[in-house]
Amino acid sequence: MGVGIRIRLALRRPGFALDLDLTLPARGITALFGPSGSGKTSCLRAIAGLDRVAGAHIAIGDEIWQDDRRGLFVPTHRRAVGYMLQEPGLFPHLSVRGNLDYGFRRAGRPTTVDQAGIVAMLGIGALLDRRPDALSGGERQRVAIARALLSRPRLLLLDEPLAALDAARKAEILPYLARLHETLAIPALYVSHALDEVARLADHMVLLGGPHGVHDGPLPQMLARLDLANEFADDSGVLIEGTIASHDDIDHLSRLDFDGGAIFVARRPEPVGQRLRYRIHARDVSLTLAPPEATSILNIMPAVVVAAAATDTPAHLLVRLQAGGTPLLARISQRSWKALQLAPGSQVWAQIKSAALLG
Amino acid sequence: MRVGWFTGFVLAIAFALSPTAAHAGGSITVAAAADLQFAMNDIVTAFRQAHPADRVDVIYGSSGQFYTQIRQRAPFDLYFSADIAYPQALVKAGLAASVPRRYAIGRIVLWSATLDASKLRLQDLADPRFDRIAIANPEHAPYGKRAQQALQASGVWGKVRDRLVYGENIAQTAQFVQTGNARIGIIALSLAMNPAFAARGGYALIPADLHDPLEQGYVITRRAANNPLALAFARFIESPQAKAILQRYGFSGTQPTPAHEAASR
Amino acid sequence: MTLAAADFAALWLTLKLACTVTGLLFVLGTPLAWWLARSRSRWTRPVAALVALPLVLPPTVLGFYLLLAFGPHGPVGAATQALGLGLLSFTFSGLVVASILYSMPFVIQPLRHAFEAIGNRPLEVAATLGAGPWDRFFSVALPLARRGFLSAGVLGFAHTVGEFGVVLMIGGNIPQRTRVVSVQIFDHVEALKYGQAHALAGGLLVFSFLVLLAVYTSQPRLRNF
Repeated sequence: MGVGIRIRLALRRPGFALDLDLTLPARGITALFGPSGSGKTSCLRAIAGLDRVAGAHIAIGDEIWQDDRRGLFVPTHRRAVGYMLQEPGLFPHLSVRGNLDYGFRRAGRPTTVDQAGIVAMLGIGALLDRRPDALSGGERQRVAIARALLSRPRLLLLDEPLAALDAARKAEILPYLARLHETLAIPALYVSHALDEVARLADHMVLLGGPHGVHDGPLPQMLARLDLANEFADDSGVLIEGTIASHDDIDHLSRLDFDGGAIFVARRPEPVGQRLRYRIHARDVSLTLAPPEATSILNIMPAVVVAAAATDTPAHLLVRLQAGGTPLLARISQRSWKALQLAPGSQVWAQIKSAALLG
Repeated sequence: MRVGWFTGFVLAIAFALSPTAAHAGGSITVAAAADLQFAMNDIVTAFRQAHPADRVDVIYGSSGQFYTQIRQRAPFDLYFSADIAYPQALVKAGLAASVPRRYAIGRIVLWSATLDASKLRLQDLADPRFDRIAIANPEHAPYGKRAQQALQASGVWGKVRDRLVYGENIAQTAQFVQTGNARIGIIALSLAMNPAFAARGGYALIPADLHDPLEQGYVITRRAANNPLALAFARFIESPQAKAILQRYGFSGTQPTPAHEAASR
Repeated sequence: MTLAAADFAALWLTLKLACTVTGLLFVLGTPLAWWLARSRSRWTRPVAALVALPLVLPPTVLGFYLLLAFGPHGPVGAATQALGLGLLSFTFSGLVVASILYSMPFVIQPLRHAFEAIGNRPLEVAATLGAGPWDRFFSVALPLARRGFLSAGVLGFAHTVGEFGVVLMIGGNIPQRTRVVSVQIFDHVEALKYGQAHALAGGLLVFSFLVLLAVYTSQPRLRNF
C-alpha cells in the first residue's frame, strides 16, 4: 500500500472529452463529484475493466490492471474490485446467502475476510435465507455491500449507491457506509452528485465536469477553494472535523474543538472525544469588523480575510477567511464588502449562524 | 338483413374466385395416378386440340389418397387410378357416374439413374452393393404391392428387405432413384420411358408373370354425371389416338375390358 | 382402435427422434442463441434470418434441398461418403439432421429472448465478483434463462414430433428407422385404415394440446408463439 491508485485515461465521445490523470490515496473514500454526464460512471466502468478505454493506465498499488502501452489488460473478473450501483443487482435465483457466497467463493486468494463480522456490521444476519425479491430496497443495498466486501476487493467502486433510495432508506444505509469507512482499510471511489453524501463520507475529492477541468485534493481543502465554490452553488461552504470537548447539560450544548477554534452545537449523544464532521455553509456566515456584543449568534470567532471572489449572483461575493488553522467561506453582499472596506488581510469577526452535522 | 348481405358477399367472392366463372367453355378436373405423369400430359394436349375452348386440369398423386379425397367429396370429375380396385370401390359407395373401365395395364421395371440396369434381374438385387432399393409403399401403393410380389417371386425379398426405402407413390419412388439417394429402384415403366429418365442409366422390364397384373382403371365421379366435357374426355381415352399415346409410354392391354371381368381376377 | 406393433414402433421412433433432436438443439442452439442475443456483429441479422427460415418456408422446400444435398452428388452426400458414412437420406441420422434444421427456430427464438431479457447487468456484477466468462454463463445466464430453456425444449420437442413434410421427403418410410408417427398416420389413411389412423392421430392431438397447455401455464407471459 501507500503507492496509491493511479488512473490515467482519456474518454472521447462525440461532443465529450475527459482527460484524467490522477493519483489517489490508497486509503479512505475518494468522491468523484460532478453533474450527470460528466463521465463519472464511464470512469468507474473503465477502472472495473467493464469497458476498455484505449490508452488507459490503471494501477492499484503494485498491481497494474491496464497499461495499453504494454498491451496489458486484466479482465474484470481478475480485478479485485467491488462494484456497486444504485440498483443492487442481486442475483434473483440465489438466496441472500447464495449471493454473499458468490463473490466469497471466487475471491481466489486465501481469504481472511471476516465473513460473520461483515454480515453483522451490515445487519443482515436475519436475512440470509431470504430471496432478494423478499427484501426491502435498503436491505437489498446492504446485502449488495456485504457481497462486494466479501469478494475481498482491493478497491470499492460505488456508483451513486444511494440515489435510488428515499430519504428514510438513505438514512438507513449511510451509517453502514460511514462504518465501512472507519473499519475497513479498503479504498473506495464514490460517485455522487449529492454534496451532503460526499461531505459526510469522503476524504478526498475529484471534481469533474467543471469549466476549469478536473481538480482533486483532500475534501476539506477542495470545499474551501474559492475557485471551485461556484461548482457547489448554494451548497458552498467548508467542512470542519472536530472532537467533542465537553457537554453542557443546562443549555443542552456540546463544544466541538477543531484546529484553530471551537463551536457550540446542539447537545450530541456521543461521548467526549468522539470525532464529528460539520458543514458550515457560506450562506450561514456573516462578517463584522468589531466583536458583536448584543447578538443571538452563539458562534463568533476572529478571522482574517484571505481573498474574495465573485459568485454566480452579481450581488454576492464569496470571501475566504482563515480562522486559526481552519479556512472558512462567507457569502456576503458586494455592498457590505465596500461598506466595511474589506480587503485581503482585514481582521474580521465571523458570525456562524448554524453548523450542519453530517449524518 | 345483415346475414343476408354477408352471405351475398361470401357468394360473390366464391363466384369471382371459382375457376369456371371466367371461363366460357366447359371445365373438368382429372385426378390421375402418378404413373400417368407424362402420358396424361400428352393425352390432354391432344384432347385440347379438339376442345380448344374447354379447360382440363390434371392433378397427379397417389391413387389411395385420391380415393379418400373423392369419398370426402373432393371436386374431381374423372379419376384415373393405378389400381382398378379403387374405382370399383367408388362405384360401390355410390360415388361414381360410370362403370370402372380399364385404360391400361401397367408394368414395373428395375431402374437406376447411376448405372445401366438394363441387364439386371431382380435376383441381382441380393448383391449388397445396392445399399438402398426404392419401391413404392406396398401398404397402399399399387406399384409397391407389385414390386413386393415380384421380389418375393424372385426369392430375394428376405435378402433385400432391410435395404428397401419406401416412396409414398411411384413418382416419389422414381425421384429417390433419380436423385441418387437410392442406387436402384422398382418404378413404373411409364416413368422410365419418359425421355428425361431414359437418358440416364437404363431399365430392365420385370416379367409380368412375377406379379399380379397392374390393372388400371378410371371412372367418372358422381359430381360429373351431367358434365358433357367429362363424358367427352372419357370417350377420348378410348380413342385410338389416346391409346397410341399410352402405348408409347409402355402401357399395354389398352383394349377395354368389362369391369366385371377385371373384378373377377 | 388399438395400436399395432408397428404403431408402437413409430411412436417409440418419434420419441427417440424428438429427444435426440431436442438434446442436440440445446447443445447447438444455446451458444448460437447466446451469440445472437449478445453479439454486436453485423452478421447476427443474416444468421438470425437464416435460422428463422423454416418458420416461413414450406417443409417441402427444406425436404427437396435436403434430398438433393444428401444424395451422392450433393455436397453433404459427397462429404458423408468421403468419410465412409454412406448417405444420410433414409437414415435416422438424416432425420436428426433435417429435424435440427427444421426445429431450430423453435429452440433458438425462446433462448435468444431469454438471454436478451437478462441484460448486461447481472453478468457485469458476476464479473466484478470474480466470475470468468464461462463461470458467468453457467452460474448466472443459464439459471436466469431457465424459463426460456423450458419453453425452448418443449417447443423443439413438440415441433419435431409434429414434423411431416421433411420426413416424408427424405425418410423413405423405413420401419424403426424413419417411419415416425406422422408418416405412419399418413400411411394408415392412404391404406384406408381409418381406425388405426384415428388412434394415433387422436393421441397426438391430445399430446400436443397437453404440451402447449403446460407451456402456457408455466409461462403466462409467453406471447411469441
